[in-house]
Amino acid sequence: MRSLRIGFLLGMRQIQRASLWTNILIVFVMALTFLNLIAVSGVLVGLITGAERAVRAESLGDIIITERDDQNNILETESIIRQIKTYPEIETYAVRYIGAGRLEANYKERRDLSGERDIAQVTVTGIDPIQEDTMSHLSDNMLEGEYLDPNEEGYILIGYYYLQEASDKFGDIFDSLSNIKPGVTVRMTVGDISKEFIVKGIVQSKVDEVSLNTYITEKEFRRLFGRIDRNADRITIRVADNVSEDSVKATLIESGLGQYAKIQTFEEGKPKFITDIKNTMNLLGTFIGSIGIIVASITIFIIIFINALSRRSQIGILKGIGIERKAIEIAYVLQAAFYALAGSACGALLTYGFLLGYFERNPIKFPFSDGILVAPPDETFLRFLVLFAVTLIAGFLPAWMIVRQNTLNSILGRK
Amino acid sequence: MSIINATNIHRRFGEGELEAHILKGIDFSAEAGEFVAIMGKSGAGKSTLMYQLSVLDDPSEGEIIIDNVDVLKLSEHERTRFRLNTLGYIFQNYALVPDLTAEENVFLPLLMRGRDWKEAKEIARAMIDEVGLNDKYTNLPAELSGGEQQRVSVARAMAGKPKILFADEPTANLDSVHSAQIIDLITEFNKKLNQTIVMVTHEREYAMGCDRIIHMEDGVIIDIEKLR
Ligand SMILES: Nc1ncnc2c1ncn2[C@@H]1O[C@H](COP(=O)(O)OP(=O)(O)O)[C@@H](O)[C@H]1O
Ligand SMILES: [Mg+2]
Repeated sequence: MRSLRIGFLLGMRQIQRASLWTNILIVFVMALTFLNLIAVSGVLVGLITGAERAVRAESLGDIIITERDDQNNILETESIIRQIKTYPEIETYAVRYIGAGRLEANYKERRDLSGERDIAQVTVTGIDPIQEDTMSHLSDNMLEGEYLDPNEEGYILIGYYYLQEASDKFGDIFDSLSNIKPGVTVRMTVGDISKEFIVKGIVQSKVDEVSLNTYITEKEFRRLFGRIDRNADRITIRVADNVSEDSVKATLIESGLGQYAKIQTFEEGKPKFITDIKNTMNLLGTFIGSIGIIVASITIFIIIFINALSRRSQIGILKGIGIERKAIEIAYVLQAAFYALAGSACGALLTYGFLLGYFERNPIKFPFSDGILVAPPDETFLRFLVLFAVTLIAGFLPAWMIVRQNTLNSILGRK
Repeated sequence: MSIINATNIHRRFGEGELEAHILKGIDFSAEAGEFVAIMGKSGAGKSTLMYQLSVLDDPSEGEIIIDNVDVLKLSEHERTRFRLNTLGYIFQNYALVPDLTAEENVFLPLLMRGRDWKEAKEIARAMIDEVGLNDKYTNLPAELSGGEQQRVSVARAMAGKPKILFADEPTANLDSVHSAQIIDLITEFNKKLNQTIVMVTHEREYAMGCDRIIHMEDGVIIDIEKLR
């Protein structure tokens, strides 16, 4: 207790007497360390969180209804939709029919019938254009051309990744078609049935489920795929603000819809790799941050070491007149604590006062995601605690090394 | 029983060929309330003897009993406690803590002794008043002259009313006017508090107020002069 008071007095006065610029510099280094620790993993995780958000907004929604594992489609689709419409907690929904087809382009111009045909195996999604747009705002993703009109027939939207130019850019990962632009005629073949469509528009999004897709109206889908029972493959639901998707899911299950289909929240239904990558990024960020911690602890060690070494004779005198070692050590540990606290406070202020909002407004544009900064306060606090503890040790060690030296030698400046 | 009782003190530095035998079997004792001066040429071993007596160094040989405590048997922590509670120090180079103000320098040992903040501050200010620096409580050492710094250092040594005060050439860096002030202060405290004082000095003039002068040469005591 006595030692604490004296340590406090000594430590505080040393900080006070240190030059302002020295203090600013040290706090700056600590703030950078804090940012390194929080922001690096925050951006890495935010990259994935940005992608996750987009998938939720443009594709999967908050609740996903799919076929039961023992079925091919969602049973009783129409009565499910009738039910869904009655829930005020559900803001909107979209019904999708999903199938696979063979899309062929440039077949009319082909002269050499034995030459290679321009074909791509594609995903086909049948939608109600208006209903779909309320849910996923698909019409916002038009790269070229126009969105589907529910009153027209024979039109198709093609995802950007099926275009030759995309595969030129990203490498030839998917089948692609050349010379696709609005107005061009393509032929869709499903089993024995073929139908011609005019390309109405090209859709592009950072969400693969949109860019790697083709869209036609549900009426034409049902005809093409022979789905007379009107049972869909996926119903995605957007819940109203301030409504928990878990509770909506529970209500849906309670009302017996579970017997017709599988009902999952976004968290349950999202692809598992998203979680995996997120964890990997977090680990990577932590690793990079740890290097920052090591650098910071060495910095603090050197600062306190020089600080204590230059006060060696003073330390000797203090011990000589009867001040306990503990008190002197506390003085230096407190200095380290002060720098860690001040630096972290600056870093936290910057993170929560500025960076989070900034990246929310100006996401980092990556090809596959609009990255934001993710810094959950509890995790930030945990990392701060680690930084703080490491700093205390880095401050204590040099103080201990110098304070334990022989008192008289310290006073006299002897070796 | 004397308050300081040191017998057969030897201090050697180094080993083998390089060994230097600095104190060669010194017997020293001081009575409670006695003011003892140690004189001798530079290099005679006065400071070295001081460090042994004031529990800052360990003799190579010998026994030291202070205030009935066999100080050489104490642990490091106990010695620190002992120095805090029983001994006071005035060093040649003032040895103030540069980061602390005059009054903080004085009340630091009082805090260590467990006084509360307010009380320690009051005592410190009273002591600073006594050494004549009542307008310099919050000056940093760097803002004080040498003489003033040494007076703060006297105040620090006396604030805890230690039984024994050790002063190693307290006036060596001061001009004659300030030197006389410091010696007067020390003498005054000796009378007032009946403190035991051991002081090393070069100037015979400053030793004249003492009870006894011990003359040293080359690590041995060559003469003891009794003044009163
Ligand atoms: N740590 C040490 N190692 C070697 N020699 C020392 C050491 N300390 C003091 N001495 C030597 O002891 C002698 C006496 O020193 P000191 O006690 O300081 O003399 P004084 O105070 O009488 O001038 C000097 O010759 C000095 O060089
Ligand atoms: Mg000397």
